[in-house]
Amino acid sequence: MSRVASDTVGNGALVPFSEDTKDSLAVYPLHHGLAPPISRIAISWARGNSLRVSLFATPSSEPSRTPQDQSGGKVLEVKLGVGDPEISDSRWRQIAYGSVAPFALLQSRRSALSEMIKSSSPYQMDWWENVLEYSKDITSLLSGPKLPPGPIIEERTDIVKKREEPTCLKAAWELLEIFYADKQSQAWLPEKLVDWLADYDSLFSSTHETVYGKLARFQKELVDIQVLEDDPRYWEVMSSALSVGWLDIVVKMLRLHGSYQLDQLSNRELENGLVEAVAVLISKMPRLCHESTNGKLGELFKSKPDFIKAWEKWRSQITKLDCSPFWIQCGNHHTREGLRNLLQIMLGNTESLCMATCYWIELYISHFLYIRPFTTGIESMYNLAQKCIQLKPPSSNHKLTGLIVGILEENTEVVLAESSREFGPWMVAHAIELLTAGSEQAEIVLHDERYNLGGISMIELHRLVYAQVLSSHALTWQIAPIYLTSCMKQGMGLLENLLYRQSIQHNDLLLKNIEICRLYELDHISSDIMKVAGVYHWKHGHKGAGVYWLQQSKDTSRLNRIAQQLFDSVGKSISDESFKQWEGLIELLGSESKPAGGLEFLHKYRDFKRSLQQVYGGKATDAARQAVGSLILLMKNPSTPQRFWLPLLYDSLKLFNWHECPLLNVSETNLLLNKLQELSWARLHPHFSEPNLPAEALSSIRLALATNLGRAILDE
Amino acid sequence: MAKELLILDNGTTCSCWNYCGARLAAGSADGTVSIFDFCDSASSSSLRSSFKFKAHEGNVVKVVWVPPEYGDAVASVSADGVVSLWEEVAQDSQPTQWKFCKSFGSSSSKVLDVQFGTSLNSLKMVVACSDGHVRVYELLDPLELRNWQLQAEFQNVIESVSAFGKALCFSASISWNPQKGGSQESSFLIGFNSNTSELNSSKVWEFDQAHQRWLPVAELALPEEKGDRVYAAAWAPNIGRPYETIAVATQKGLSIWHLGLNPDHNGTLPVERVALLPGHEGMVWQMEWDMSGMTLATTGHDGMVRLWQSNLNGIWHQQAVMEPTA
Repeated sequence: MSRVASDTVGNGALVPFSEDTKDSLAVYPLHHGLAPPISRIAISWARGNSLRVSLFATPSSEPSRTPQDQSGGKVLEVKLGVGDPEISDSRWRQIAYGSVAPFALLQSRRSALSEMIKSSSPYQMDWWENVLEYSKDITSLLSGPKLPPGPIIEERTDIVKKREEPTCLKAAWELLEIFYADKQSQAWLPEKLVDWLADYDSLFSSTHETVYGKLARFQKELVDIQVLEDDPRYWEVMSSALSVGWLDIVVKMLRLHGSYQLDQLSNRELENGLVEAVAVLISKMPRLCHESTNGKLGELFKSKPDFIKAWEKWRSQITKLDCSPFWIQCGNHHTREGLRNLLQIMLGNTESLCMATCYWIELYISHFLYIRPFTTGIESMYNLAQKCIQLKPPSSNHKLTGLIVGILEENTEVVLAESSREFGPWMVAHAIELLTAGSEQAEIVLHDERYNLGGISMIELHRLVYAQVLSSHALTWQIAPIYLTSCMKQGMGLLENLLYRQSIQHNDLLLKNIEICRLYELDHISSDIMKVAGVYHWKHGHKGAGVYWLQQSKDTSRLNRIAQQLFDSVGKSISDESFKQWEGLIELLGSESKPAGGLEFLHKYRDFKRSLQQVYGGKATDAARQAVGSLILLMKNPSTPQRFWLPLLYDSLKLFNWHECPLLNVSETNLLLNKLQELSWARLHPHFSEPNLPAEALSSIRLALATNLGRAILDE
Repeated sequence: MAKELLILDNGTTCSCWNYCGARLAAGSADGTVSIFDFCDSASSSSLRSSFKFKAHEGNVVKVVWVPPEYGDAVASVSADGVVSLWEEVAQDSQPTQWKFCKSFGSSSSKVLDVQFGTSLNSLKMVVACSDGHVRVYELLDPLELRNWQLQAEFQNVIESVSAFGKALCFSASISWNPQKGGSQESSFLIGFNSNTSELNSSKVWEFDQAHQRWLPVAELALPEEKGDRVYAAAWAPNIGRPYETIAVATQKGLSIWHLGLNPDHNGTLPVERVALLPGHEGMVWQMEWDMSGMTLATTGHDGMVRLWQSNLNGIWHQQAVMEPTA
């Protein structure tokens, strides 16, 4: 069914880097302003679609005159495939943020629905209704600001009015909604298209002459025209407006006819009667429409049989008027011809319609109105479009026409490629929801997992591409996860890469990152992120924050290394400040990490060291006794590494030589002496590492202990 | 569409962005390495120089950031083939500074390329040397960038029966599998531009845990093109594809390879060349995959930056060209 259009439309590009890559390769200039030649280029991808390019100039040896020549290179950032240039960056961000909620709601409803199908619940809502609701949300998001209301007293000659500034993006979205999402509108497609063109005909003015353009120009000149009905443009513009079904405008313009003026009414009675008859016929035109189009002219019919009956009656009235003998009596040549041309348009005269319309879409719409008002079925709509293109071959292509043709020929891939090329990744990622609701065939094409794409479907691919675009900007990357997590196969992989590439230096950003990881159960990524943060802080002198984050990431190997470093300072004389830091770190390391039971030792050592410092601070014997208590505890404890025995004892020399009284009793002194004995045995062992202490350390400890023992024995 | 971020000093020869694109390291002809940071506010788009240190006597030809799990550190390679490793530290309330950690290199052979990767939770550094040797160093202490151990040394050949003593290599390109596996064993890719054809073709090396050695598990060259000189190689991030994607640039152009994930009975991974693209009319300087592995950016001798993508049918093609103009 669907032809593979990838090679003809937009190169089948995954990421549309330009609005036009159809025929030749797009070459973008990178303006650098360096003195040529460039000796080397370096490239690097930042997050998402932004590419950073470093250009290095050839080093100049001679002193240069201008400062520009002196620069040795430039670093440029190129953002790729951002989308529709018609819309400003800030507006794009507004759209990006605004479309998150409808998108997420639709996804959650989809998963709820699939749950329901699994449990074979009898209740099943029609899926397209959800899609339509989503589409309406997006449409209101795309609506531009309302234009300021016109003057309260309307000018008589005010014929064209705009309610809001139309955009191609919204026009394209509404078109997709009409054809794919709104199942109810299927029966009313032609009328929907008539309304669509009424809203967006002005957009085509950028590349074509349009009925809107004609009207707008005529409106400007209107005030200067003396006798309106004698100006051929008056009749031409009216026939154009009538051909595309803008009944209100035509009737309003008809009423500007000179024969309505009071002073003329008497001698132009017949002429005025004809004008009014046509105006009445126009305003009574039957329309097949399912909802009241408040205030618009035409008679609305909801059921087809009623409509057909009314239509035939209406046509017979037109024919009757057309054949009326009054025309011969009408003296004004311009009025006569102009009015009869309007009748021809209403009678569906192809030639008149061709003359009145400006380009093929308008002609197409006029066919729906006056030639085939009962047309249904999209096949015949496509054939009709082709006929209209033949009758009015386009001189240049507007960005919406490719999309319209793609829709009419029911080629999902063309529709996607056109949306992508003309409107960018946002459009495709969101419009694809409408397409899948459109038909089963489209759903199969879009859900089919393709090996060429790495085993993912088109839906997933386009979401990934859009998420990449979001990732490129600091203000939008945070919504990328919502799209990525809706991608079953590769979304998480890309999300991991995205999260890993966030800077950890700013704490709020770091916390946000971790929160996203937690939300999507990416524990290993948050662990990596916290590890990076931990190392960063550790290396930058924020030891506490470093240990905290390493603990959060459960990085035992680095924590063990840190504990090792703490061991290394055992026995060394350290300043007050670094002792405090050291003490804090032991506190931070807590009891969770257990490097060979060493932490228990470190805690005890800290107590010992603390009381020892008080002793050196000149505090009384009590403090010294406390220090001895700690020392004995340490020496008794089997978890105290042997290599620290000597440093510990050496630290305690002052305690052993306490002049007021011996601080250790006999058994305590004996314990320490035994340890010394053990040490001297250990020294014979080949792997014994000598602590970094003065040579006389051992003998001075021994002497001090012996002295203490003597005093203790005497005391006891 | 292009925005200027920074003007570089005269004599700048190379640059490298860190993992999050927030810091730039640039090497210079006078042997200095400069570090640039974005100004404080998050949305600011201008860079300023924050540190500068002299890493080498001669020309710096390459700078590479160390993975962030090991701190803010760069390795720079000088024209005479010495790797110098520096890191940013702040100790004991001193201001932050860049400190020298270690240098690698010998008088007999020059280092041509260096790349870092993590495997089995430890940092590995692969260096490619001008004599055709590949050396893998391992970091012993994750918090100390001074302590390295040479884990392996081998030549880039499948059958290692004879060593090629007289190899002369002009450039080399190393690319680690970007998979962030943590405890998972990792692999890397290396290709040479040398006068010894056996060394040239890009090969994928994986660590064999059982025998504690590095083994070649795939060769990315058609049988008749194995001797072709390799200018650059780049391993794409794999966000969930059932195969790995690798780009290799030789004198014949850019090749895109698919590397299967499941080895055959010999332990070899299946390879398939899916595209041969025209390239840059000569040397390819650098190839970089975007974070999804869908777009390849390349730059080379013709002075252009080119972007390559596969379309929906799996056909690779050039997507855009950027041409530097004054």
